[in-house]
Amino acid sequence: MEQNYIYAPALTSEFRCKVPLKETRQLFIVNGKVQGGKSPFSLRLKEGEVMKEMLQIISVRHKSYKEHLATQQDFHFGKGSSGKIIQCSHTFSPDRFRTTEKVTISLERDAVAEFYIMQNEHNNAEHSTSYEVNLGAGAFLKMVFLSLHGGVIRNDIFLDFNEKHAECDLAGLYLTDSKQLMDNNIYVNHLVPECNSNQLFKGILDDEGVARFYGRINVAPDAQKTEAYQANHNLLISDKAKAYTSPQLEIYAGDVKCSHGATIGRLNEDELFYMRTRGIPAAEARILQQKAFAYEVLEKISNTELRERMLSLVERRLRGEFSHCSTCIRNCC
Amino acid sequence: MNNDNIMLKISGLKVSIDDREILTGVNLEVRPGEVHAIMGPNGSGKSTLSAVLAGKENYKVTEGEILFEGEDLLKLSPEERSWAGVFLGFQYPIEIPGVTNVNFIKTAVNEHRKRKGLPELSAAQFLKLMRERMAYVEMDSSFTSRGVNVGFSGGEKKRNEIFHMAMLEPKLAILDETDSGLDVDALRVVAGGINRLKTPENATIVITHYQRLLDYIVPDYIHVIYKGRIIKSAGRELAQEIEQRGYDWLIN
Repeated sequence: MEQNYIYAPALTSEFRCKVPLKETRQLFIVNGKVQGGKSPFSLRLKEGEVMKEMLQIISVRHKSYKEHLATQQDFHFGKGSSGKIIQCSHTFSPDRFRTTEKVTISLERDAVAEFYIMQNEHNNAEHSTSYEVNLGAGAFLKMVFLSLHGGVIRNDIFLDFNEKHAECDLAGLYLTDSKQLMDNNIYVNHLVPECNSNQLFKGILDDEGVARFYGRINVAPDAQKTEAYQANHNLLISDKAKAYTSPQLEIYAGDVKCSHGATIGRLNEDELFYMRTRGIPAAEARILQQKAFAYEVLEKISNTELRERMLSLVERRLRGEFSHCSTCIRNCC
Repeated sequence: MNNDNIMLKISGLKVSIDDREILTGVNLEVRPGEVHAIMGPNGSGKSTLSAVLAGKENYKVTEGEILFEGEDLLKLSPEERSWAGVFLGFQYPIEIPGVTNVNFIKTAVNEHRKRKGLPELSAAQFLKLMRERMAYVEMDSSFTSRGVNVGFSGGEKKRNEIFHMAMLEPKLAILDETDSGLDVDALRVVAGGINRLKTPENATIVITHYQRLLDYIVPDYIHVIYKGRIIKSAGRELAQEIEQRGYDWLIN
């Protein structure tokens, strides 16, 4: 692995992250500049290389640069290599930051990678990330997005299956309130036979929060024995929250298993009543329901410590403890 | 009988849903230590009565009142009724994926304690209590980490209801068709749990379609409800008669 990053402890005094997790290295990128390393950030794993520690890449926007920032991160996993990456993005102040990011991820034959993407920015921030993903034969990629907070968050994922027997598991949980906008656009392209893809995106929308989901699965004429699934579920907490979902399947091969499902709903009244008959107050019961709704995504996080931390963040977010985020600079993560 | 000692008093209760009258005038008195069985054919209003007692919305009380320990029960929210000591065991317990049974019941128990001015149970105290009460219905510990009722069989769901009841120690338990969907063994276990929780201070209303539950839980009174009102009240011997003759002789 190219060692083009270092741990930057100086930043952590300002950045009150309860990190690092056990067996995790941290890398800071401030206004697009890799601290202690070359910019833009790139990581290349050699053939057979196994990352012993998780790598947490923390990208922050600092008020010392308020212009539109275009930045990039590249990940290349060589044959049979494996690793886990946590990507966090934060804003240090409530300025009108605009960030456009491009992330390329390529996995060669039999490589295994997990990406956990944590997005937590202020209400004035606008962050758009485009992921270009290429998977080789037998490769496995998991991506879990946790879009906790941010004025406008847009994630575009373009994923191509280029060789047989590869698999991807894409999941996302997004939480919006005030006037936040969450926009997920996912293009999964089955170009070759016998690959599996799975998408699960769930959102909890409060106040005047808006979520858009566009998911396209394309199965090419040759891509027989494809299994491709997609689900998008939205929970509307307020009357003014909105969700737009458009699941799309384009299938040109005959022997495939594909499905898509999209729902926009409210909290289940029967569950709510059941909990209340046991003495759980209505407000607490709603939080429990929302946590339960979120859990299906969070349980995809394989690392227990990370999963617990994410769960607690989601709970605090649902309890409204992030409502002061528009002015706060604590950058919880 | 001593009128001062009435735990639950239902007087002239009329209930509608979507402008259709389901309960057409129910009167019932329950005292501490008593077990009442409410029987009746399908659609007679049994489940409506239990839902109204627990505070389910969408049911409109058009006439009558329900007093619980002298207080107007209808003014209380479902959670307030629970804190006051009313428990409803569901005919179809709700599955709540993602909320583990242990977190669910711990939250419920601590909310109850909060209302009584008691501190939360420590983790050790809670575990001890939970193990003890799970044993009442022969539940093994694997149920605690699973989602509430998720993937539980019919019998397991009913045992879980009685486990919840055992944890909350209600004054009045209303058990809606607790016997439905149970095989003989599960029925024995569930009934055993209910009997174990019986004290001179608490009361139970079992709502059932069949007499067989009453072989295990012996009621003091049996009421037959039909077309939204109680048409016959008698002692436990009535169950035998219903078993042999059905409801027709009562209805006609």
